[in-house]
Amino acid sequence: MTFNPLEQRGIPLDRQLRNWRELNVQPIDPDRCDPYTRCRIITMNGIETEAILFGHHLARHTSDPELKRQLARTRYIEAQQQRVVNWLLPGVSSVLETTIAYEQVAVDLTAWVARMEPDPYLKQAYEFGVLEDFDHLYRYANLYEMIEHRKAESVVDNLTEVMPGRPTKYHHRDPYDNVRDPYDRTTVNPLSKLHALTVMAAEQQTMNFYMNTGPTYMEPIARQLYQEIGLIEEEHVTHYESLVDPGETWWEQLVNHEYNECYLYYSFMEQESDPKVKAIWELHLNMELEHLHIACDLMRRHDGREPQEILAPELPDVLTFEPNKQYLRELLATQIDLTTLGAGYVREAHERFERMQQQIHGGEQPPSERVMAEHDEMFGREYRVETEGEHPDPALRER
Amino acid sequence: MSDTHTPRAGDDQASDTDVVALLIRQHGDIRNLFDEVEATSGDERRDAFRRLVRLLAVHETAEEEVVHPYARRKLPGGDRLVEDRLAEERKAKETLAALDEMDPDDPEFMPRLLALRTDVQEHARAEERYEFTHIRRTAGPAELASMAKAVKAAEAMAPTRPHPGAETMTAANVALGPLAAVMDRTRDAIRRVMGRS
Repeated sequence: MTFNPLEQRGIPLDRQLRNWRELNVQPIDPDRCDPYTRCRIITMNGIETEAILFGHHLARHTSDPELKRQLARTRYIEAQQQRVVNWLLPGVSSVLETTIAYEQVAVDLTAWVARMEPDPYLKQAYEFGVLEDFDHLYRYANLYEMIEHRKAESVVDNLTEVMPGRPTKYHHRDPYDNVRDPYDRTTVNPLSKLHALTVMAAEQQTMNFYMNTGPTYMEPIARQLYQEIGLIEEEHVTHYESLVDPGETWWEQLVNHEYNECYLYYSFMEQESDPKVKAIWELHLNMELEHLHIACDLMRRHDGREPQEILAPELPDVLTFEPNKQYLRELLATQIDLTTLGAGYVREAHERFERMQQQIHGGEQPPSERVMAEHDEMFGREYRVETEGEHPDPALRER
Repeated sequence: MSDTHTPRAGDDQASDTDVVALLIRQHGDIRNLFDEVEATSGDERRDAFRRLVRLLAVHETAEEEVVHPYARRKLPGGDRLVEDRLAEERKAKETLAALDEMDPDDPEFMPRLLALRTDVQEHARAEERYEFTHIRRTAGPAELASMAKAVKAAEAMAPTRPHPGAETMTAANVALGPLAAVMDRTRDAIRRVMGRS
């Protein structure tokens, strides 16, 4: 890889503003697009949303009005980038259809990151989380068939299997056990920082999406399932954000954010099959290079350090959307019965876990179980896509 | 593994007491049939397209006879809302009638089918968002159920399963006749259920 974002100059900031015509992008066709094009759009929406929210928090901790104004200028461009990226999603898609795509992102993005993660503790955090997103995909897929008579494979297109993961009802842990130990910013591989930021941003956007769109459904089971899974996304954001070293300065974090955006736009530009979408990744990469340059200057000025000290010497291998079926099957066979205890993982249901389970379920079946019962009543079967054979865990094979 | 064949209209044990839930599922059934037409060729495509034509005819007729009149009567601004939907339906029916006269293997067939698919999908979502939402808010359980009953009667007019062979397919086509005849028959069935004939 020869591409080094630190050595490139992008589009000058004062030439990055787009007018209404330029913002009015043509959405993808939900029935004919590459499912991974939609995954890349959803991922970049999460990344841009995080850029905007992080930028606002940084501004709230900044007292110098001139600096606030400088941050506002870049942030406005980031806001336009988010509007362009997310507006690539078509209005004809239903919320549930988009939800299936969000879960495909969660599964294939987290699985890929887990495969590539060099640090064993961080890798375990991704392996643990991905089995939960995998189960959410299965629950929502069954709801989708009930409400719209559509199969989730029309969205995920057999690139991702749909079958039980760690059962959703067991994801409700005492919040105490959701906090992980952070990596050490002085010794961690720079790639690990990008991974943590990417997965955290994706899960945060999933949380935002479910907690805001869930109540637009009228069907009681749909409203309840979004509420349940939306609360698990709160746990996932807690899980992933606690991996990031809180000792990073604000400017260091800003540089990491901008660098990660360059990394992801570059990655997606390299693999994009839709030429119109590819052109957007390329344009945004050229904007981000300038944002990175500005962030690096701020870090030098305020922290008195060189950004090279905290960044990778060159851009890591591109982050790729691709099937992770065999990897996920190995995890299903070996890690399905894990839960967390403190900052670690155990197989037995400990006291704090049991107490949380008892309180939140209140002696009833949660929505994630009832959706399966209601689906069975309606169709006399469940919905699964098992392209590579039966479920690796005999207890989770369909009866 | 489950036999997870694609659900077809009426292909579930739902209680069908809510006309909106039923119509949203039919929108999915229609989208599934578009998928099937696109994915097949030759006689299989002809057969899938026949089923698509029938389901579309039956579905749109049921909406025109059952839900649009309700929306006109009960929703504020209902007249205008329904006019917009009817204009979309008229346009779709014209394309459908033209396609119905074409051979699915004609090179012109696919581009026109895809254009129709886009129009039908946009029309369906517009109904769900601007009409059905208000119907659910306005109608009581009894009204939703009686409208559902009428739509179910219409649905029975659309045999949506594939036919075993070309012979029976031809026979079925002859029996059902062209688009206009399917619509007439559906209208009669609905009016019988609604006690208006």
